[in-house]
Amino acid sequence: MRTLYVEGRSVLHRMPPRAKLLGLAVASIVLFATRSIPLLGMFCVASAAVYLLLRLAPREAFERLRPVLLTIVVVGLFTLLFDSAIEAAVFVLRLTSLMLLAAAVTATTGISAFMDEITRLAMPLERIGLVRAADIGLAVGLVIRFVPEVLARTQAIRDAHHARGLKPRMLTLAVPMIILTLRSADEIAAAIDARGLRGQN
Amino acid sequence: MDGIRLDIRFERAEARYAGRTVLQPLDLALSERRIGVIGLNGSGKTTFARMINGLVTPAAGRVTVNGFDTATETESARRQTGFIFQNPQNQIILPILREDIALGLQARKLAKPDVRAAVDAVLSRFGIGHLADRRSHELSGGELQLAALASVMVTEPAILIMDEPTNQLDLKNRRLVVETMQGLNETVIAISHDLELIADFDRLLLFHEGRLAADGAPAEVIRHYRDIASA
Repeated sequence: MRTLYVEGRSVLHRMPPRAKLLGLAVASIVLFATRSIPLLGMFCVASAAVYLLLRLAPREAFERLRPVLLTIVVVGLFTLLFDSAIEAAVFVLRLTSLMLLAAAVTATTGISAFMDEITRLAMPLERIGLVRAADIGLAVGLVIRFVPEVLARTQAIRDAHHARGLKPRMLTLAVPMIILTLRSADEIAAAIDARGLRGQN
Repeated sequence: MDGIRLDIRFERAEARYAGRTVLQPLDLALSERRIGVIGLNGSGKTTFARMINGLVTPAAGRVTVNGFDTATETESARRQTGFIFQNPQNQIILPILREDIALGLQARKLAKPDVRAAVDAVLSRFGIGHLADRRSHELSGGELQLAALASVMVTEPAILIMDEPTNQLDLKNRRLVVETMQGLNETVIAISHDLELIADFDRLLLFHEGRLAADGAPAEVIRHYRDIASA
């Protein structure tokens, strides 16, 4: 199992997870409260600077962002075609800033710390009987844990295509990836139940 | 484990999946310390093992583990049984081994110092203290199996179910897992195609086409299995 966490001693690594998550939440609100392109541009540059604090090799820094970045580019192009250049710029700058900040937070916070923090934040909901806080923490932890797994699986399917002399296509990549991911999710869910990690009193 | 009652009972227990019976009604009582489960692929052996842990609940009949019904007292039944899956990668939830092992105890709301002490104890028990802060993708196959074992045994189940514990392991890692398994005091139920592994077990169960086809001493049951496999 690979992980999105990057070992390090940067300022972000030393910050408490709660401060990072709250910072990310505040940044999201600010980003969606403004439509000023210069302001969004400055935000984007600042977010990139935060991401660079991780001191990742350029290739790894790009690889980590690639899937989300591609989605942003595609949706940005559609917005440009069907709406306006200003709308497209606002969309791309907002989401790129958010992507960079979120990537910095996930790279500097271990899954366990994430789960502990989310569990603590969900405690008020548990007190009023809405949810089990630990289950929410576990669910968030699993989402973070699954991201590199899905990417690795997609790469393995892509390699299998190349090994058989086939050109990878969206459909032939997506179908086996979804089937494998669901199968693995079933097994992980069974392991969670077997280990008694969920829904205990 | 002296003094701990170990009693697994299947009472006309039957399993169905997608309208198909995958395990015919089964009556069985298990209390031996080492039990092996063999059979061809799709014979129902994994379903049988999952029924002991309550991962599969009977469509008819009932399964009890030390008196706890796996369908109605699932949590209590599961506290009696640990389950090691075929692919330990899917069993390990958190990347850092120490954190993953702690999960089972945190779910039981143990205090942090108690969790730390129990994790250290189980790491030491399986001789993997040096792997505590390693990431699971850096571990070898054998180390992964031991990590999965530690993550389950930390909650001290009386019964351990292992699904293909030596599957895809090289000889060195296989030996590591086998030696660890032999040293366990707990009851072990191992599903395996590795006949050498289970040859000296107390009891062997052979499943074929969703039925219990043989039940007894290993030599006799393995002979029966070879007949089925070569038919």
